Amino acid sequence: MEIFQGVLSGFQVALQPINLLYCFVGVFIGTLVGVLPGLGPAAAIALLLPSTFAASPVSAIIMLAGIYYGAMYGGSTTSILVNIPGEAASVVTCLDGHAMARQGRAGAALGIAAFGSFIAGTLSVVILTFLAPFLARVTLSFGPPEYFALMVLGLTLLTYFARESTVKALMMAAVGLLCGTVGQDTISGRFRFAFGSRTLEDGLGLVPVIMGLFGISEVLLNLERRQEHTELFAPPTTGLLPTREDWRMSTMPILRGSVLGFFLGILPGAGAIIASFASYAVEKRASRHPERFGAGAIEGVAGPEAANNAAAGGAFIPLLTLGIPANAVMAILLGALMIHGLQPGPLLVKQAPDVFWGIITSMYIGNAMLLVLNLPLIPMWARLLRVPYAIMFPFILLFCLIGAYSVGNNVGDGLVMWVFGIVGYLLKKFDYEGAPLILAMVIGPMMEEALRQSLILSTGSFGIFASRPITAGFLLVSALLLLLPLLRRTRQTARA
Amino acid sequence: MPRDLVSGLFWLAVAIFAAVQGISLELGSLSRPGPGFFPFWGGVVLGLLSVVLIVGSLRREAPRSRIRPDSSKPLVVVAALLGYLLLLESIGFVAVTFLFLLLLFRLEQRGWAFSAVSAGVGAFASYVLFQLWLKTQLPTGPLGF
Repeated sequence: MEIFQGVLSGFQVALQPINLLYCFVGVFIGTLVGVLPGLGPAAAIALLLPSTFAASPVSAIIMLAGIYYGAMYGGSTTSILVNIPGEAASVVTCLDGHAMARQGRAGAALGIAAFGSFIAGTLSVVILTFLAPFLARVTLSFGPPEYFALMVLGLTLLTYFARESTVKALMMAAVGLLCGTVGQDTISGRFRFAFGSRTLEDGLGLVPVIMGLFGISEVLLNLERRQEHTELFAPPTTGLLPTREDWRMSTMPILRGSVLGFFLGILPGAGAIIASFASYAVEKRASRHPERFGAGAIEGVAGPEAANNAAAGGAFIPLLTLGIPANAVMAILLGALMIHGLQPGPLLVKQAPDVFWGIITSMYIGNAMLLVLNLPLIPMWARLLRVPYAIMFPFILLFCLIGAYSVGNNVGDGLVMWVFGIVGYLLKKFDYEGAPLILAMVIGPMMEEALRQSLILSTGSFGIFASRPITAGFLLVSALLLLLPLLRRTRQTARA
Repeated sequence: MPRDLVSGLFWLAVAIFAAVQGISLELGSLSRPGPGFFPFWGGVVLGLLSVVLIVGSLRREAPRSRIRPDSSKPLVVVAALLGYLLLLESIGFVAVTFLFLLLLFRLEQRGWAFSAVSAGVGAFASYVLFQLWLKTQLPTGPLGF
């Protein structure tokens, strides 16, 4: 009954006209960001964060969250029509989505992507509604040692899911942890790695770092790539509604994708990208005609598009119940909540139930808005895709510059973004991933505090991590995850 | 030189720097970890991982170098971004934005007239959007905008 009341009060918040407006603006911008290749949701949310300072905390988070799941809808449009992912989580949609477009079935592909996204988005919010308050109650008893162990597990999982080498992912996590120590030490009050700079004394800002790593560096890489010839299919104005046969083939993939996506979304670092790939693999294996995949199988669009949307919902679980972000977008939302004076974590549901439930219920409304909005607007998005990159990229850069500057009206933040833009560009060149760095940088200060508090509690004994069952369990799983790839490799070399 | 060797050596240097800084910041004791505790151990872990990467890169054959993409455009953009930030507070938002956009449109071989007009419109539109509508506090130049 508690949940029922919560949902009811949440709708009272989310249905206020001002919040409906913020939700609409959020999902609209989100779709735009999803459609446009080269500007991801993380950079976009970082960019718009300063513009929400004047709004109430609930309105701000409702809008920023809308950008995130809205981008999951928009990404599929570009994948299907242009064969370029508008957004990283829509990479797999290119395979069968574009193949369908080439066969003249772009309408069905766009339609099933939108419906699949809607169903999965809604299902994942339903799971979130029931799971989040329950988990918040469980995690309420966590002390510093549990938090430390959990964050170790989080970082381990993150590197476990890394696409490039594990060593490099671990290195990025270590670099991120070091980046997190820049600024004033919360326990002793001393400045670290500040070198007398006022900007660095406040610590590296999350917004400039993310815009550098994911915004600026992306533009630099795009400029370098030779512009390949792309064919843009004229957007269909009719036939967006999938046929009964389409539905029959897509229902199970959508449902499987929803559940898979939600639970992968909870895991740090896995998120929407892994979820979409996993769903594609599952559907291909489950299909009686796997050879159709890649040649325009509608299941190959329905499943992954459902999965990436469900993952966006799942990602809210660690943020709302633990105060730990699962990906870069959640890291900014965490920052946004804290700027507005709220402490995300198990206490949020008790201390600010209107915020907690308002955010969750706004996602039901946002998903419905997206479905209604998206199908009629597809021709408009397609026209937008005809704007050449030569016109678009100077504006993306300009918006990043303004965004970084306006966080604190400080040119120093712009310079931080500039440095991380170059760093991000070089990381790509040398096959490193930026995601573990960002996450470790956000978790770093929390992790350091938890570790130091645990050691103070135990007067310097590491036994505190072994004697508490939950803590020991988390650490054991982390150790296994780290050792597993190593064992597999040695067995392979032994066999060879 | 293998690429992993290059990046591995770079991160090793960063790691040593962090660890040394950590020591000078005070490590504290285990029961009372100081401000240098985390940077020091973070540096140690990063250093060990870098060594693993370096050793691995030496044992494997160096992969054939890929075709070098043309990096001149990114270089111009990086310089333009820095110039924007350095000039922003002295000549003001509108002027620096105009110059920035003009340069980047020219970079993609758009004509002078087209570039100048688009840069002008872009600078004005972003001024209206951010300064007047979103109320961002953008720096003004000597002419008052």
